[in-house]
Amino acid sequence: MNRRRLLALAFVAVGAVLVSAPATALAHGLVGRQDLPIPKWLFGWAAAVVLVASFVGLAVLWPKPRLERAPERRVAAVPGFLDPLLGSIGLAFFVLVVYAGFAGSQTTTNNLAPTVIFVIFWVAIPIVSLFFGDVFKAINPWRAAARAVAWLAAKVSRGGLPAPMAYPAKLGRWPAAIGILAFAWVELVYSGRGDPSNLAVLALVYMAVQFVGMSLYGIEPWNRYGDAFGVYFGLVARMAPLRWTRTALFARKPLSGLTNIDVVPGTVALVITIIGTTSFDGFSGGPAWSNIAPELTSLFRDLGLGQSTSLELAFTIGLVVVTLIVAGLYRLGVIGMSTIDPQGASTEELSARFAHSLVPIGLAYVVAHYFSLLAYEGQRVAYLISDPLGNGSNVFGTSSATVDYTWVSATAIWYVQVAALVIGHVAGLVLAHERALVSFGDNQVATRSQYWMLVVMIAFTSLGLWLLSAANS
Amino acid sequence: MTLLAHVGHWAINLLYVAPLVVAVGVLGWQARKDRRARARGGEPVVRRPPSEPPG
Repeated sequence: MNRRRLLALAFVAVGAVLVSAPATALAHGLVGRQDLPIPKWLFGWAAAVVLVASFVGLAVLWPKPRLERAPERRVAAVPGFLDPLLGSIGLAFFVLVVYAGFAGSQTTTNNLAPTVIFVIFWVAIPIVSLFFGDVFKAINPWRAAARAVAWLAAKVSRGGLPAPMAYPAKLGRWPAAIGILAFAWVELVYSGRGDPSNLAVLALVYMAVQFVGMSLYGIEPWNRYGDAFGVYFGLVARMAPLRWTRTALFARKPLSGLTNIDVVPGTVALVITIIGTTSFDGFSGGPAWSNIAPELTSLFRDLGLGQSTSLELAFTIGLVVVTLIVAGLYRLGVIGMSTIDPQGASTEELSARFAHSLVPIGLAYVVAHYFSLLAYEGQRVAYLISDPLGNGSNVFGTSSATVDYTWVSATAIWYVQVAALVIGHVAGLVLAHERALVSFGDNQVATRSQYWMLVVMIAFTSLGLWLLSAANS
Repeated sequence: MTLLAHVGHWAINLLYVAPLVVAVGVLGWQARKDRRARARGGEPVVRRPPSEPPG
């Protein structure tokens, strides 16, 4: 049996073990009872049918590239003061969040920092970026601070600052991938994540790392490749119908921005990390993990480690393993594609070539898994903005606002989750089909080359729906 | 025995894998068919739409 078949069998076996774990149920977070007309697994089948129908539709109705190299048109001028103004607002808000983390109440729900970091920053900004483009670039606090420092230094020194080093090509988007993994670790594993002062320290550490990166390699190159959040939000923003520069606003076809992404090392790793860590978030709320985690934790406790450290180690292993499984799924799809590819491209080459098709899937996973968090916990901003420190202040008169858990039903959340997953995967199929058309020229060959990508999309959709159903059961 | 006793609990989870199994099965079957066609000395059967010229 060759290596590829062994790899495939190993993943099928791991998947079967995880999926067939007894459903003893852990109620997940905030989602209540759902009233659905059909069983949840049937949604998985329906989603697979939609994907296959989309695949056939693309093969028949989309014979020529429409997104790759699609033109964009300038729709408006952007005033010169807007970029520094938005940067100043972003920086001021960052200072407020950090200050609240240190000086405010250390109760998670009474402090602005946790809600802003885990709900607004992590979930809302990517969703806003999907529709309005790279808004984070404008409000990026560390970019704004670095630009202000560079401007001041240039004024004071008159000769300007020394030129930064060239950004190493080998580094690519790896710093961003590592940054996202680190954030996910804090969010899903770190036992002190609910402590606002810990989050404030971590925010300052992250800012310090960004300053080092920007001073070494320049502000824009580091923001393009090294700043985890700048890179992640920037990738999502490439799906938007709008593109901003400092001087102008451009309109383009949705998704077309992703087709001209420069595929540097670490790009696949970054997107896989987003999908994998989000998958672990769903998995860790389900019954399979509730069976595995205690075993792993007790194993580490038997080695003499404390309860908290053992738990963190167990969750770290889970986070890494699930991310590797997701990476393996994509790898299997690429290996399958390479067996059909008429040009005989290597798996590495194909993996990089189709990496952009994973971006909508990454966002779909984020929306599907965190929509309920945004819908409910996001409401806390209403009172936290008036009372960011939780000390009883009422700056905007909204400190008495409460969270309304009834405005959107659990059933509606399920439909949003399913829709996000299906739309994200169909978008992934469109992008992969486009790239195949450009790569192979012929529609027939392009379609054949995408059979395995279709399987990858069905696998990710089924996985996503299973994780959501297990977490919500 | 516990595994069998709770078959109703975990078997339903396997239903999520079914579309994937079907897709992989169809692909595997097609790949096998293509391999056999090549072994017979011909190219895999490719059906083109009527409007598209052959070749």
